[in-house]
Amino acid sequence: MNLSKSLLIIAAFIFTISCDTNNTNDEIATPETYEFTRNGESTVSFSGQTTRIKMSGELTSAMTDFDNTTKELLLEMFRNQTESGADANPFSDAELNAATKNIKSKVAASTDFYSSNTTVSSEIKTQFETWLTAQVDEVFPNENIQAQPGVAGQIADGSSTRYVNAKGFEYDQLVAKSLIGGLMSDQILNNYVSTSVLDAGTNIEDNSNGTTAEGKVYTNMEHKWDEAFGYLYGNSSNTANPNLTIGEDDSFLNKYVGRVEGDDDFAGIAQTIFDAFALGRAAIVEGDDELRDQQAEILRAQISAIIGIRAVYYLQSGKTVLEQANPDFGAAFHDLSEAYGFVYSLQFTRQPGTGQSYFTKAEVDGFISLLEAGNGLWDVTPQTLQDISVDIASKFDFTIEEAAN
Amino acid sequence: MKRYLLLFLSASLIISSCTETNPSGPDPDDFDRKAILENWADNIIIPALTDFSEKTESLKTAGNSFAENPNQQMLESLRDEWKAGYLALQNVSMFETSKTMEIRYRNNLNIYPVDTAEVKENINQGNYNLKLPSEIDQQGFPTLDYLLYGIAGNDDEILSFYNSGENSSDYRNYVVDLVNRIDSLTDVVLNDWNSGFRDEFVNNSGNGANSSIDMMVNDFIFYYEKNLRAGKIGIPAGVFSGTPLPQNVEGFYSEEFSKELFMESLTATQNFFNGKHFNSESTGLSLSDYLDFLNSIKNGTDLTQLINQQFELSRNKAENLNSSFADQVEIDNSLMLQTYDELQKNVILLKVDMLQALNINVDYVDADGD
Repeated sequence: MNLSKSLLIIAAFIFTISCDTNNTNDEIATPETYEFTRNGESTVSFSGQTTRIKMSGELTSAMTDFDNTTKELLLEMFRNQTESGADANPFSDAELNAATKNIKSKVAASTDFYSSNTTVSSEIKTQFETWLTAQVDEVFPNENIQAQPGVAGQIADGSSTRYVNAKGFEYDQLVAKSLIGGLMSDQILNNYVSTSVLDAGTNIEDNSNGTTAEGKVYTNMEHKWDEAFGYLYGNSSNTANPNLTIGEDDSFLNKYVGRVEGDDDFAGIAQTIFDAFALGRAAIVEGDDELRDQQAEILRAQISAIIGIRAVYYLQSGKTVLEQANPDFGAAFHDLSEAYGFVYSLQFTRQPGTGQSYFTKAEVDGFISLLEAGNGLWDVTPQTLQDISVDIASKFDFTIEEAAN
Repeated sequence: MKRYLLLFLSASLIISSCTETNPSGPDPDDFDRKAILENWADNIIIPALTDFSEKTESLKTAGNSFAENPNQQMLESLRDEWKAGYLALQNVSMFETSKTMEIRYRNNLNIYPVDTAEVKENINQGNYNLKLPSEIDQQGFPTLDYLLYGIAGNDDEILSFYNSGENSSDYRNYVVDLVNRIDSLTDVVLNDWNSGFRDEFVNNSGNGANSSIDMMVNDFIFYYEKNLRAGKIGIPAGVFSGTPLPQNVEGFYSEEFSKELFMESLTATQNFFNGKHFNSESTGLSLSDYLDFLNSIKNGTDLTQLINQQFELSRNKAENLNSSFADQVEIDNSLMLQTYDELQKNVILLKVDMLQALNINVDYVDADGD
């Protein structure tokens, strides 16, 4: 071996080492808490998401407040403005009234799915408003009537009372569970963790240069990622370590990450999701877009799975009740109203590595039409519920049995 | 009875020969389940329901007499019938059928705590419909408890609601509506048993989720777990809420019967397990015999014996409780919690060990609460 050859090898070796030290993939540790600072100040901010989670909570509660709720009130809560576009104060929480945010503008509003598909976006927003008004038009007048096939009213679910439409669906469950997809998951998976949003404008350059947004301590890219985080953890009492209270912080995505975590078959999923958020954010701080995007794909897979698992869970719960000799229809209807919302939410999921949801809107509409056929839940058969469960589970990595218990 | 005994013996003989060749033990299919069903229907359920229906009839009469003449004597007589009926209810409440589920019998007769605001609104406005699911906490024995004991601080004031108050006739009518409804719902259930359901029940003697045994055993355990363990003890003791809820005891307004009601219910569930005939010292076939037949052993001890011991331990623990559970919860809740713990141990023995031995699947799941 001559000298030059040796030098070359040594040089290559050194180069490799320096390559390794520069390879941040191996260097960035997953932070244990979601805390990031610049010059001693926290750069984490997602107040708009917290606001929308709280608004969603008040909205769905108001849907069964027979004594105080009107159609106008529900629509104002959804839009946070009056029908004529004036400022409205529909919420009991003054901070929500003062906020300039609203739910409606963020429903089916992700950049990836809806920026060039405003027709469908508008159709979905209208669907939510239709449920809200139907609650007041159809269910409220029948508050004190026993529900029957074709007749809205109340029905017993054990010692609870449920209020259903003529097909046996609870509109408040449809709205609440569909918001998990239409608002929270769509905004996270198809908007805030998407390159189209994270890398928009001069975000990449600004982020690598540490150029913060005007008047803020965070870069735009950091903030976008935090907004994704906020749709899951925004109402947590400990946002730095939100898994301490996972499942208890709202009635939407947070709640059901907690529920799925509670199923032994999926234990660990809450940590997987949190870690992806935390590592993705750390990657942004370090300017490692590749690592960031890997975390985005983990979030897409896992949060989509939450929706799929709960859809199958409730379909199977309803099926089990309907198979009994003396079915408690109210219990089945309640489960299947939740199932409806999770099935509806499937169109907002995201298959990792693709631009597609796990189920298209047309496929979701197909499932829904099976649930709504004839007199809806009064007619639906266990077989239909099984068929839908099979179709859903086949696209995911879980089995019906794992989801059902 | 003799016939069933013979059947039982011959079945046992067949099995004892089987056990030698079959290491997994006797097969539940070889037990004469129909004999159990006959004992349940003819010696326990129908006699207990018949007794209860006589009591609800007397309650109805006393309620109507009180409404006609609301004086102290009538009030006391109505209270006596109410208490006798409430105790008798503890012997039938656990038995679910398609009919009881259809009319939501247990929930219409015994949901507590009472929604007293709604009760008053019903009386004042008159636009109530007791058939609605949303009105289960405005009727039945708990609402009578409120109207007969809790509506005012002393008997004179209570009586004035029915005599001289602005809506006194509405108050009287409400009492009449409640006692009439308790009685008519009970008639529906008893008539169902007496007009064909008894045979249907007894003949549905196979195994599988929709067989009489599987369903009745599930209903029995559900009752034990939800209504006895949780409803009567656990919820008021704050097991599920973290803080005690004295207003959630059964018989809250009459104050002194909650323990008696609980004890009656505990005895009724144990008697059912052992096949003890209603209001008699005789016993017939039941779950205890079925377990013995299967030679069910847990940790070296006979499962039937363990379950009965646990019933006794629960009873002994509960003997120490104040006759008013509301007082007990406030004075020394730890005794309530200790009673709950003993009751809970039998949930495991019944729901896990017994069901496994009998090869019966649990057909209910806890709602996920949302």
